[in-house]
Amino acid sequence: MKRISIDPITRLEGHGKIEIFLDEQGNVANAYFQIPELRGFEQFCVGRPAEEMPNITNRICGVCPEAHHMAATKALDMLYHVEPSPAVKKLRELFYMAFYCADHTTHFYALGGPDFVVGPDAPKAERNILGVIHKVGVEIGRQVIAMRARNHHVIQLMGGRKVHPVAGLPGGWSRALTDAERAEIEAIARQNVDFALFSLQLFKDVVLSNPAYVEMILSDAYTHRTYSMGMVDANNCVNFYDGMIRVVDPDGRELVKYHPRDYAQHVAERVEPWTYLKFPYLKQVGWKGFVDGPDSGVYCATPLARLNVSDRMATPRAQEAFEAFYETLGSKRLPNGRYQPVHYRLATHWARLIELLFAAERMLELAMDPDVLDPDVRPVVNTTPDEGIGCVEAPRGTLTHHYRTDARGILTKVNLIVGTTNNYAAMAMSVKKAAQSLIRNGTVITDGLLNRIEMAFRNYDPCMSCATHSLPGQMPLEVTVRDAEGRVVAHLRR
Amino acid sequence: MATLVIGLGNPLLTDDGVGVLTARAVQDALAAHPVPNVEVVEAGVGGLRLMELMVGCDRAILIDAWTDAELPPGAVRRLTLADLEAIRPPQHLASAHDATLPTALAAGRRLGLKLPEDIVIIAVAVSNVTDFGETPTPAVLAAVPQAAAAVLAELRGAAETQWQGPGVAQ
Repeated sequence: MKRISIDPITRLEGHGKIEIFLDEQGNVANAYFQIPELRGFEQFCVGRPAEEMPNITNRICGVCPEAHHMAATKALDMLYHVEPSPAVKKLRELFYMAFYCADHTTHFYALGGPDFVVGPDAPKAERNILGVIHKVGVEIGRQVIAMRARNHHVIQLMGGRKVHPVAGLPGGWSRALTDAERAEIEAIARQNVDFALFSLQLFKDVVLSNPAYVEMILSDAYTHRTYSMGMVDANNCVNFYDGMIRVVDPDGRELVKYHPRDYAQHVAERVEPWTYLKFPYLKQVGWKGFVDGPDSGVYCATPLARLNVSDRMATPRAQEAFEAFYETLGSKRLPNGRYQPVHYRLATHWARLIELLFAAERMLELAMDPDVLDPDVRPVVNTTPDEGIGCVEAPRGTLTHHYRTDARGILTKVNLIVGTTNNYAAMAMSVKKAAQSLIRNGTVITDGLLNRIEMAFRNYDPCMSCATHSLPGQMPLEVTVRDAEGRVVAHLRR
Repeated sequence: MATLVIGLGNPLLTDDGVGVLTARAVQDALAAHPVPNVEVVEAGVGGLRLMELMVGCDRAILIDAWTDAELPPGAVRRLTLADLEAIRPPQHLASAHDATLPTALAAGRRLGLKLPEDIVIIAVAVSNVTDFGETPTPAVLAAVPQAAAAVLAELRGAAETQWQGPGVAQ
């Protein structure tokens, strides 16, 4: 038995496990992407007061506490039948844009960067943020840290705590802004816009000007023609905080646009025996297995998917970047003026930077809106709660919280569909395809396998801690390759 | 000299909350007997964010749950960053989503951030970090006073404490 161990580690708990099964000819028959199970979240919540949920769910995960906090807060709006005032909505969205600016920056530079800026075949020791700093220079590294720091400052200022925000109230937001604070946030938003524009230029200079990277982006190994899902505003523009959920087919035709509270009519969950995590799919299309195309209900909810469902961006410079994205990648305009969807999964990194620019521009708009100075942001709630559904776009996909309570507001049922879960089927498909590109006729190219597989799922920005309600951000990776008899032919760990 | 005490982990995941519970115990002890220039925070983060939390302080003491099959639950150990490197990826610190703490610290230093040279980790061996629950298992809960004492000993400059055996440190 050939057993290869790369970067051995002492613990196996919490690993993402990938099992690759070969057929008689030694080609990839199946690839299973498994995530460790954490137990008892619903039972943990049931019996508690619903108003605790923004502060419980923001502890699920150390990666996007702000997204859970916001989805939970919106679920409480509906649960307590209280419509937030325009000021409350704008304060929440302003806070949320600061979170997006920090999170998308981190993903591109610290996580996507190793794949593109440093390169997929760079030595493992360089495929991390240190390697990125080495490649792009210390000054840009400082700007990345400064970008995170100033937006974390806004998150703390508006959310009430350094890491796990506490400002969300049913129909309200506990922290009003002074004009001095608003002006500070406006200045930060301006810096964010500059940084986002700079990052898009960097992407052009480092990635798009490198034919090898472009070829990789356009390659079949990283292409899946699935449905796309994302939240849009009244003008069918990308929106992260509020709107309708729009789904388009692989050719860009709208399949459905629904209110987030109707999610259960449109999304079903497939159970597979080899993993406890469920695979959401489009009910209307149906589950056809781990395949792409218009007949398969597999969909994506990622930055790329959000651009694909949108007609345009709501801010001017993001719109320019949006057009450049589709034109450069050879997308034609449909008769209704929409661009054909892009299905190159590695283009998700580019899409993420366009979203970063939108988040920065939107943050600036909101910071200049006089409504955010309204001190009246804590409405008195005196209705009887029953059922609430709250939805936002988390950076890594559509996030839905669904609660039911008794008349006292005590939780009786809790269901979450987290961002990463939406993309679980697509990720499993991407992992299989990446494995297929490196395993042929029994030859396993172990050197690049882990990197390529990592690249395949990393573009989805998966947060398994979220998907599993697991330890903050923890997901080492383990890959096992088995032959047709089930014997282990390769075993890789990171 | 500014010292930051960080209780790590998720207080909703049974034993994973031990770092946060210990930090709260340290906070209470400091309220009764203050030590100057000490700040105590809790955080369910790792890697970059954890590194950023330490910017500007002279010394950091991290408290975290530690899954180690060799140790009985409740055992308390004092680790250094060198130890972390040797056993990586430790709890919370490795991910498809983040850098490890040693990598994040190296990156921060490379960028000229002021980071503490003196970083100590008080690790508590745990058994259950996969079930939701606000109370650690009995052996881990019982170790909280000892872990807090270990942190306070660091803060009061009496870190020569012997670390041996499960659950007992004299």
